[in-house]
Amino acid sequence: MTDMPNTPPADAIDYRRRQKIARIVQRLVIVVSAIVLAIYVLAPVSWLVSSAFQTEAEIVSIPPHWIPDEPTLRNFEAIFTAGDSEPVTYETRSGTDPAAGDFIPSTAKNLLPSMLNSLIVATLVVILNLLVGVPAAYAIAKIRFWGRNASVYFILITRVIPDIALVVPFFLVIRKLGMLDTLGSLVITYLAITVPFTVFIMIQYFEGLPDELDKAARVDGCSRLQALIKVFLPLSLPSLVAVVLFTFLASWNEFLLALMFTQTSASQTLPILLASFTSDFTVSFSFLNAAGVLAVVPPVIVAIVFERYIVSGLTAGAVKG
Amino acid sequence: MLFLAPVMVVLGAVAVFPILYSLYISFFSVKLTRPNRTPFVGLKNYTDLLGDAAFWSAVWRTVSFSLVSVSAIAVIALLVSLLLNQEFRGRRILSTILLVPWAIPYVANALMWKWIYDSSYGALNGLLYQLDFIDKYMVWLGDQDKTLFLIANAFVWKEVPLATILLLVSLKSIPADLYSAARVDGATVWQRFVHVTLPAMKPGFMLVMIYETMMAIRHFDLFFVLTEGGPGSASHVLSWHIYVETFRNLSFGSGAAMSYLLAIATFALSYLFIRTLGRKL
Repeated sequence: MTDMPNTPPADAIDYRRRQKIARIVQRLVIVVSAIVLAIYVLAPVSWLVSSAFQTEAEIVSIPPHWIPDEPTLRNFEAIFTAGDSEPVTYETRSGTDPAAGDFIPSTAKNLLPSMLNSLIVATLVVILNLLVGVPAAYAIAKIRFWGRNASVYFILITRVIPDIALVVPFFLVIRKLGMLDTLGSLVITYLAITVPFTVFIMIQYFEGLPDELDKAARVDGCSRLQALIKVFLPLSLPSLVAVVLFTFLASWNEFLLALMFTQTSASQTLPILLASFTSDFTVSFSFLNAAGVLAVVPPVIVAIVFERYIVSGLTAGAVKG
Repeated sequence: MLFLAPVMVVLGAVAVFPILYSLYISFFSVKLTRPNRTPFVGLKNYTDLLGDAAFWSAVWRTVSFSLVSVSAIAVIALLVSLLLNQEFRGRRILSTILLVPWAIPYVANALMWKWIYDSSYGALNGLLYQLDFIDKYMVWLGDQDKTLFLIANAFVWKEVPLATILLLVSLKSIPADLYSAARVDGATVWQRFVHVTLPAMKPGFMLVMIYETMMAIRHFDLFFVLTEGGPGSASHVLSWHIYVETFRNLSFGSGAAMSYLLAIATFALSYLFIRTLGRKL
């Protein structure tokens, strides 16, 4: 160490400075891209929310008001009180200025019932998924039997069938059974798009639990069913939560099948009603946006509250974890 | 065995039976406009389709929509996953808000973008106008040359979060030693990215591409709400074509034939998907 020079060689200074600059640049890139990403994700939603709190007069201003001058709850009020208002007739409708587009459709009163429909369907689909999917996943993960691999592939194949390919046969069968326009038709057909995913996630979770648990439970005299209920279910709570969330969101958001099978407010789900508003050019924009906000809020709250479960479930559901 | 029975019955009834029944229907001429006569026509529904120019242009539009969407999803999700793989303050909040587009229903997503693209009062016009990029409000969804791209944009916005989460898994699975080893060997940041990161992400990347392609090919909701296949036939994609043929022309036979072709295309594509997923179980 004696011949170490007092001053470092010039290229070492240069190297250190370059490293420092590189670090600053790296931080800068990260901060800028984080901001860009946040804007990309949040800006469209914020505009929807902002519009929902504007009056119809304000919403048609050019250029748009990004933040409402006089925020109003009028649009939400219209939705929640739509049940009491008089039915829209030609007379009452032509009484308002059509050019203002300040029109709340008479089907607005179906909005809350359609949310209830969505809720009922989603809940039933979740329950059926758990009843049907969890035992199957346990069997595939923990019991060695002939045809196990075939069952895995069978379930995977059903997972990739496009929903649109099921529409025609479903429609003909459901019509024959006289089940058009019932919530039951939705519950049954939604099983096709949710059960394969449920089984798939649960298999992976059960495989991660040691086989010894199963053996120990069996030695203690548990039947297979008892082993599943008493030993495995309590341990697999996180993945059960994930399964419940996915199934619920998938049913809540589903559109194509509901479009085919529902006709009246007896079975129309929220997406159907929402879509019917958008195809009516006379419907007030601010009302439309308020309805959109109502459809967005429940799933977004669920996603944010249960973020951890959702991310772990999504990763288990698709890629090698 | 009793455990497996319910799933087999349910999936048999709601997945296998319909797909086989659909094949059966596709050999008949089933029109709800004349419900009592459904003659067997063999492969005629299929041969008619193959000779139908409208069908082929719908296929072509589906292919372009999928190509544009999936490549945009791949690039954006790659960048976002690289960002979220870094340690920085606010990373957790950012990953949480990233779930917002994933969670909202497709119909609400469509409603939101329809309002953004609105030619009279929409945010896109407002923003571009205020930034002086345009000097008067423009037509967006109503412009044949732009429609497909604008719908793809709404699709990409909603699909990027899932793709990002999936890519993050493969990023996180890269052992840190690989990077230190590369650094010792004097690899630059770019070289480390190309020779360590990218190869390690390949399986995850493949899965994302296949999955998103399957989703893009079958996608329907945005087309229904945003354009109904229009303007003209600019966004008349295959899924919309199936819908129109089946539920507006009430021609269930050819609707079934078309959806069958779509299912076969998906199966061919998902062969890899199934094999990758099946291997790990």
